[in-house]
Amino acid sequence: MAVNFVRTLILIITLMVLMRLMGKREIGEMQPYEFVITLIIADLACIPMADVSIPLTYGIVAIICVFLLHQILVILEQSGSIVRRIISGKPSVVINQNGVDVVELRRNNLGVDDLIESLRTAGYFTFDDVSYAIYETNGSLSAMPNTNKNNVSNSIPLLIVSEGKIEYHNLKLIDSTKEKIERFIKKQNCTLKKTEVLTIDGDGRVYFKEKNKKYKITKFELKEGASW
Amino acid sequence: MVKTIISILVVSCLLIVGSIYEHNFVNKQFDDLNKVLTVLYQKIDDETATQDDVYAVQKNWLNKKKSLHVFIPHNDIKEIDLWLSESATLVRDKEWKDAISKIEVLIELTEQIPKTFTLSWENVL
Repeated sequence: MAVNFVRTLILIITLMVLMRLMGKREIGEMQPYEFVITLIIADLACIPMADVSIPLTYGIVAIICVFLLHQILVILEQSGSIVRRIISGKPSVVINQNGVDVVELRRNNLGVDDLIESLRTAGYFTFDDVSYAIYETNGSLSAMPNTNKNNVSNSIPLLIVSEGKIEYHNLKLIDSTKEKIERFIKKQNCTLKKTEVLTIDGDGRVYFKEKNKKYKITKFELKEGASW
Repeated sequence: MVKTIISILVVSCLLIVGSIYEHNFVNKQFDDLNKVLTVLYQKIDDETATQDDVYAVQKNWLNKKKSLHVFIPHNDIKEIDLWLSESATLVRDKEWKDAISKIEVLIELTEQIPKTFTLSWENVL
């Protein structure tokens, strides 16, 4: 039992550390330790169930160990914010008054694509629809709507440049070329490398975010008949 | 909070008591078997052992293994069953050399299996 307990403990701690390092994308609506426990407990129950050569006690002891660890973590989490930060991490502000914070996204192993997806799930389709967006410790996105935004677009914006790289598939959809986009970026006194986010919607409305600068909304001349 | 703390204490106590009981129980069962096997080993060495002697050891083991199934992987138990059965046939045929090697393996098993339950790096890793 003691050996069983120590082995379970080592594996859970290893998994928890890895989950924390993987960032928020991998967690999916649970605290990291809850996710690890959910992941482990099903397997622990299955192994002695399927393999009759393993005594049932092995499974039961391991499950009890997981329960014990869960209870200890619950208490530790309630005991203070530093411990909570170590166990569960801290929320990350990925959209602030300056726009998308790519550095914060990268810190959580996320990309602009992931942020767009999360925003869509939350009911927002453009970055300037929200004033703030926060990835919670459980991996879900909370967003504060931008009350200053007046015009509502009827088409979904496409990600054209993400962290200095052109998304060629989307470029095709807007019927444009790399040269045109580079020229447009140059007009904004910026370079492709320094462009963190550039989205264009069906009306040619552009969300442009340069590195270390506040985002701006501008216009891009779309080819006539270009729609998606 | 109080409930959580109580549950931690109760579960910890259960695990500690369970671990101590398991350690003592497994050690005792295998110590007993080891003693019986040592006697059988002597008899085989003196070439005075009979098949009934091995059956007596088997009967003794049969009673122990019922409770040992709770703690020991069933394959380890099966291994002892097989070695004992082989020994019985070899003693019946008076093949003392082969029989003694089987009993030696059994004695080794009774020493090694309880060691897998002690808290050590080799067992944890």
